[in-house]
Amino acid sequence: MATRLSRRSVLKGAAGLAAAVPAVKRSSVFAAPAVLQETGSKVKITYWGSFTDALGEAERGLVQRFNESQDEVEVEYQYQGTYEETAQKLTAALAAKQTPDVSLLSDVWWFKFYLNRAIAPLNDLISKYNVDTSDYVDSLWIEGIRDDVQYWIPMARSTPLFYYNKEMFREVGLESAPKTWAELEAVAPDLTRKDGDTITRAAFAHPSAGSYIAWLFQCVVWQHGGRYSDENFNIMMTSEETITAGELYRRSVVDGWATTPQDVNTDFLNGLTASMMASTGGLAGIERDATFEVGTAFLPEGPAGFGCCTGGSGLAILADKPAEKQEAAFKFVMYASSPEGTAWWSQNTGYMPVRKSAIQSEEMQAFFAEHPNFKTAVDQLEKTRPQDAARVFIPNGDQIIGKGLEEITITKSEVRPAFESVQKILEEEAKPVLEAIEALRS
Amino acid sequence: MLGEEMQSGSTVPLVAGERAGATVRGATRAKPRKWPLREWLLFLLFIGPNVILFGIFSYWPMIYSAYLSTRRWDMISPVKVDVGLDNYRYLLSDDTFQKVLWNSLYFAVGAVGGSLILGLAAALLLNQRLRGRDGARAVIFMPTLLSGAAIGIVWAYIFDPRYGLLRTVLNVFRIPSPDWLGDPTWAMPAVIIVYIWKNVGFTTVIYLAGLQAIPRDLYEAARVDGAGPFWRFRSVTLPMLSPITFFLVVTSILSSFQAFDIINVMTRGGPVDATNNLIYYVYQQGFVAFNAGRAAAASIVLFVAMLIVTLLQLRYSERRVHYG
Repeated sequence: MATRLSRRSVLKGAAGLAAAVPAVKRSSVFAAPAVLQETGSKVKITYWGSFTDALGEAERGLVQRFNESQDEVEVEYQYQGTYEETAQKLTAALAAKQTPDVSLLSDVWWFKFYLNRAIAPLNDLISKYNVDTSDYVDSLWIEGIRDDVQYWIPMARSTPLFYYNKEMFREVGLESAPKTWAELEAVAPDLTRKDGDTITRAAFAHPSAGSYIAWLFQCVVWQHGGRYSDENFNIMMTSEETITAGELYRRSVVDGWATTPQDVNTDFLNGLTASMMASTGGLAGIERDATFEVGTAFLPEGPAGFGCCTGGSGLAILADKPAEKQEAAFKFVMYASSPEGTAWWSQNTGYMPVRKSAIQSEEMQAFFAEHPNFKTAVDQLEKTRPQDAARVFIPNGDQIIGKGLEEITITKSEVRPAFESVQKILEEEAKPVLEAIEALRS
Repeated sequence: MLGEEMQSGSTVPLVAGERAGATVRGATRAKPRKWPLREWLLFLLFIGPNVILFGIFSYWPMIYSAYLSTRRWDMISPVKVDVGLDNYRYLLSDDTFQKVLWNSLYFAVGAVGGSLILGLAAALLLNQRLRGRDGARAVIFMPTLLSGAAIGIVWAYIFDPRYGLLRTVLNVFRIPSPDWLGDPTWAMPAVIIVYIWKNVGFTTVIYLAGLQAIPRDLYEAARVDGAGPFWRFRSVTLPMLSPITFFLVVTSILSSFQAFDIINVMTRGGPVDATNNLIYYVYQQGFVAFNAGRAAAASIVLFVAMLIVTLLQLRYSERRVHYG
């Protein structure tokens, strides 16, 4: 009796399981056809984004404004985690064929998807919709081009910015930010407070590899006349200029005026560091949360003058989508980077307006007058240049360099051996990229 | 139930344990029984779901990992390039991987040793007739049920050298708080402390059950022989608990090799790889750097390490563990 009963229930269970599989599939968000019929002509697309907190609200707001601005396309916003997590999930989604229609991809990740032909070339849509590409800020626009084809449209673009606590700098007799690293180094001991050997207040702070120290240090290398690599992936981590830049970072921790906190922004807001380099993307949040007067300035110059890179993320449309969806996604991309869209996004975040007309608009000019710190960021944007291939095009290149920098800033290791090991790893990791580029061209 | 069926000559095929098998060995040898088709189908029906689930979620991934460990693949590209044993060669020559192996060992020894010793101590205490004992038992077990990620976030706050709770406590005793998660020498102890805090409840509960299974008369006999508390513990409690300890050592080592959530939330393997263990390295290589081949090779190393631990423990246990 017992056997028969359990046999029957096992079979039932199995049947139920079999029935459940298609049911689950049907309710999946990616299988849109059923929804398409219900809403008539409205095309429904999915967008993957990467922002939390104030930035996340702005991102959600941008999608909502787009949805309300027209009735042809409806974008569903899906938060995926950090830039890294978004790239991870997109990789998994490609294998499972469950991709979104359009995704936010950071400066260091879009290239990997381009190499695998996972993101769509956009030239046809750009000409179909007569997009005025010359209105985009040049350094931002050209970064998404490979072999004359546009793949990546700038959206949440940022640059590093020098943030400083005006009150602390006034205490040591400085009304404005230091113009060079040498100037900062000179006042650094005065800015620093110590309790025995513990630094209770630092003059400057370095982020971890995970918080993109390699992005910021790239500018410092340029200011010293070096580069991570040239555009042909010749790695230049061990050039004298790069090493000299590394020595500055090493001195900052060995001489005891810079710290390596878990979260540099938090330390800055709590008055535990007098200055930092950080993304413009956090500007709105920092201005809102700071209890002191926040100053911003161009990055300090080095022996070779000024140097500042771009950063942040842009939008890419997935290649394996039907034309109808790609076109709908393109409309969203164009809205997000339109003069109105980018102006709204910029004011709510601190990311750069990606359109020249947006920067010139009365609305933005009025905003700059009210928020001079934003003006600094936008002025600096004109002087930026695209990043080194070693950081953005070698998979994980950013983290590989970042780990080398952690050895210098955290364990205070010697610069040359640390960079020599980074050089070796990057050279090794560049090989498959070069092969892939070759394969793509032939 | 197993024994009963065997004796009544039922033909339900079950993989019998050694002891049960011994009782029927003679009978089966004398008269090998052919299973009718019906019995075979029933057999398949019973083991089917289990085998299918294990096949899909354990065996197949394992075989596939072994295959991937000989490839170079970025997890998107349609081509998986055959690189032979290059991935293993890479691991052998990679400084990070050496450090990762050392870290895994460090973590296992610290976490397993700590939770066993503290678990036993807590179990001995909670085995006394104390007031509030039941409440204390519940409290000590509670962290085991919590999510590792949530625990990681709370402890990251506790450990913070400037805003953290621990600093406030240490200040009272005028001890400076180290930069737990930011200093490569302190990060691993910090992670181990959190891991022990989360898992000590489990070892305590198992030890408690073990303590309560020790016959009272052994203690009485020891007392009659003049043994004090230390010798009663040393000569009765410890040996009687050895099967429990064996079980806990094996399960704790295996789970410590797989400690991921706390590390990912608290340190992300850093600073400078100070808390990067095998499982985190697999994750980093696989899902951060997208080197599926290296990740697979590292996971095979992890698998072999766990296999060796299990085999060693099994051998050792046969000789030394006292099964009452």
